Amino acid sequence: MITPPLAVISHLTAGRSQIGTSLSFHLFFAVLGVGLPLMMLVAEGMYLRTGDPVWRALARRWSKVFGVLFAVGAASGTIISFELGLLFPRFMAYAGGIIGLPFSLEGAAFFIEAIFVGIYLYGWNRLSPRAHWLSGIPIAISAVASAFFIVTANAWMNVPRGFQIVHGRVTHVDPLAAMFNPAWATETSHMVFGAYLATAFGIAAVYAVGMLRGRRDAYHRKAIAVALSMAAILAPLQLAVGDLLGRTVAHHQPATLAAIEGVNHTEHGAGLNIGGFPLPGRSGDVLNVKVPHLLGLLAFDNPNAPVRGLNTFPKADRTPLAPYIRLAFISMVGIGTGLIALSLWYWLRRRRGTDGPEDRLTLMAVAAAGPAAFLANELGWLVSELGRQPWIVYGVFRTSSGITTSPGLGATFTAFTLLYVGLTALTVWSVRRIARKPVEGLSVPALRVA
Amino acid sequence: MSLPALIAMLLGISLTSYALFAGADFGGGILDLLAGNRDKDRQAIAATIGPVWEANHVWLIFSITLLFSAFPAAFSALGTALLAPFTVALLAIVLRSVALGLRASPRGPGRSEVLLSRLFGAASLVAPFAFGVVAGGLAKVSTSARLGAAPVPQVPWTSPFALTIGALAAALCTQLASCFVALRLIGSDEPRLAEQFRRRGLQAGTCVLLLGLAAPTIAAAAAPGVWHRLIGAALPLLVAGVAASALSLLALSRRRYLLARGACLLTGAAVLWGWFASQAPHLIGSRLTIHTAAATHAALMSIAIAGGVVLLLVLPAMYLLFAVFARPELEVTE
Repeated sequence: MITPPLAVISHLTAGRSQIGTSLSFHLFFAVLGVGLPLMMLVAEGMYLRTGDPVWRALARRWSKVFGVLFAVGAASGTIISFELGLLFPRFMAYAGGIIGLPFSLEGAAFFIEAIFVGIYLYGWNRLSPRAHWLSGIPIAISAVASAFFIVTANAWMNVPRGFQIVHGRVTHVDPLAAMFNPAWATETSHMVFGAYLATAFGIAAVYAVGMLRGRRDAYHRKAIAVALSMAAILAPLQLAVGDLLGRTVAHHQPATLAAIEGVNHTEHGAGLNIGGFPLPGRSGDVLNVKVPHLLGLLAFDNPNAPVRGLNTFPKADRTPLAPYIRLAFISMVGIGTGLIALSLWYWLRRRRGTDGPEDRLTLMAVAAAGPAAFLANELGWLVSELGRQPWIVYGVFRTSSGITTSPGLGATFTAFTLLYVGLTALTVWSVRRIARKPVEGLSVPALRVA
Repeated sequence: MSLPALIAMLLGISLTSYALFAGADFGGGILDLLAGNRDKDRQAIAATIGPVWEANHVWLIFSITLLFSAFPAAFSALGTALLAPFTVALLAIVLRSVALGLRASPRGPGRSEVLLSRLFGAASLVAPFAFGVVAGGLAKVSTSARLGAAPVPQVPWTSPFALTIGALAAALCTQLASCFVALRLIGSDEPRLAEQFRRRGLQAGTCVLLLGLAAPTIAAAAAPGVWHRLIGAALPLLVAGVAASALSLLALSRRRYLLARGACLLTGAAVLWGWFASQAPHLIGSRLTIHTAAATHAALMSIAIAGGVVLLLVLPAMYLLFAVFARPELEVTE
């Protein structure tokens, strides 16, 4: 068995790293899988209303890219469904019978999505324009439904409900109570808004780069306008939902709250640490600004509420990665705040003139916002997954108890890491190839006039 | 019928749909590998599986979720015992999907297209083989008290019997794909191209028949547990499978493609349900059955209802998909 460089990392670390890599990779495609269908529908719908061929060109281009991303995303999602059993079989033996319902319903949503993706991608010349547009609607709905069902299962891992353990066996399972646990609403909406936002900023970024390279035409302007309209509506909502999710964590995952907020010792009337840069092995943050009483107010609606410190939890029950989790959390919040500011700026400027701002600085900010929005999604998941450690099901089941007893995880981790490197390269190559093709159905003069 | 049996039946239907329809898509990859530099063959294969392969793939996801929701202990044991072959199958499925999704056009102008085609073909050969090997190994371990009594039994997926089943799965996929492509070519008035796929179908079908006869023979010699079950509960299905396989060959030789496809689908279904019958009610080993590995009653009930909802939603949508692509293209007005 080939395990050379990885022989140094433990069985558990190899398994966790493999599923962590898989989730981070899949998340990128899942986010676009949720967001792109809506953007395609908007663009194609605008074409049906206005007859403007630029809209149709955008819809067709996005659907080509979506076809590639859907194929890779469906494949990387398949990897995860297998890995649940291959890497964490003892966790699945425990949890499968409790959270099977959302997974089965996700199966239905994925089915509908895959069927209509076939119709939509291959049906441009087989359906009337209106029927074709309609066939995109089930894709957009089922993509959101898939994300919803999967995230309810994750919410259950964070706030487990709907079962009892009697003599080490799972009993009294209530599948609906497990699915609609206290975290379902905030976690699912945070994910869906996050996906829409990242897609919107991602699209805007692609076309901002095009404009920076001198391609300032209606095709690029329309793409940025439609993407940043969506962003401007959703970014403030995401802030509100994020706040609600923070309260959910505060009430149900006290150790996680302490880690993400950097609360080491229990505080009464806890202040909110803003901008503190955590350093491992050092208590207290560098460059920290503490706003008195704000954490208690935000998390518990009470400025004098006590917030339990990380050091009050037994060593075995707290994460060893607290500084990194805090760093991920504040980076996510920082990016989110920046994205809200950017979309508001864009719309304030656009109200005065006819087109949005097209100066280099704004375009460069929009170009940076795309990757940043995807990074924020990845960081949010790091907070959710690392913040829950050492538990795979918070307070009930340890990650170390879920890992497989089968050997060879060093080899599988190596194989899958290489696979992801290859898939990333292939996907980038393929999307760039689509982007390089001339825009079909649009002559250059038409572009300039529009 | 008990609730676990009902869900096992649903799982059986889901696995059968995956094996037959996604199996035909894998077979398309194998045919693509065999097509050499005949780009017309390659285009015919791509046109047949293009719109449907993603949807067919979802049967696998659905089967996995059914398995871990309803029989979590068995899912856990399967994942532990079969880490290696499942990892191989998984890598193959992923590479197949990505190669097929990224290949812009089956006609290869550049080297990249050729490379993606080869990857698509090779991965399409490995995936059904790996699944067949797993099925053969499970049939063997679940019918042997000596092998199957451990909580996580060793599954002999490299035994001659298992390897034969792996080869049978790959051959069956190839024959299925040949029938699907040939039938489509006849429908779009290209009988000359269809001849090529008829020949492939006859070759693959001959392999199916021979391997289908070899498997029980090997079982009789080397896996007595499987042999006894095969000539017991599974005997009618075994006979039906051999008969359907012979019929599909006869139909192909007479260019009756619709009949050939039907008989080929029937062969695949008979092989699968023969396997289920040979090891029912065992899921893996002799200790984990659909009853001992089952989740709680409430969980099973929710899965049964969700499973019913899935079928109610999916079957009409699936029909729509196949109906849209059975229609001719519209005139392009641009």
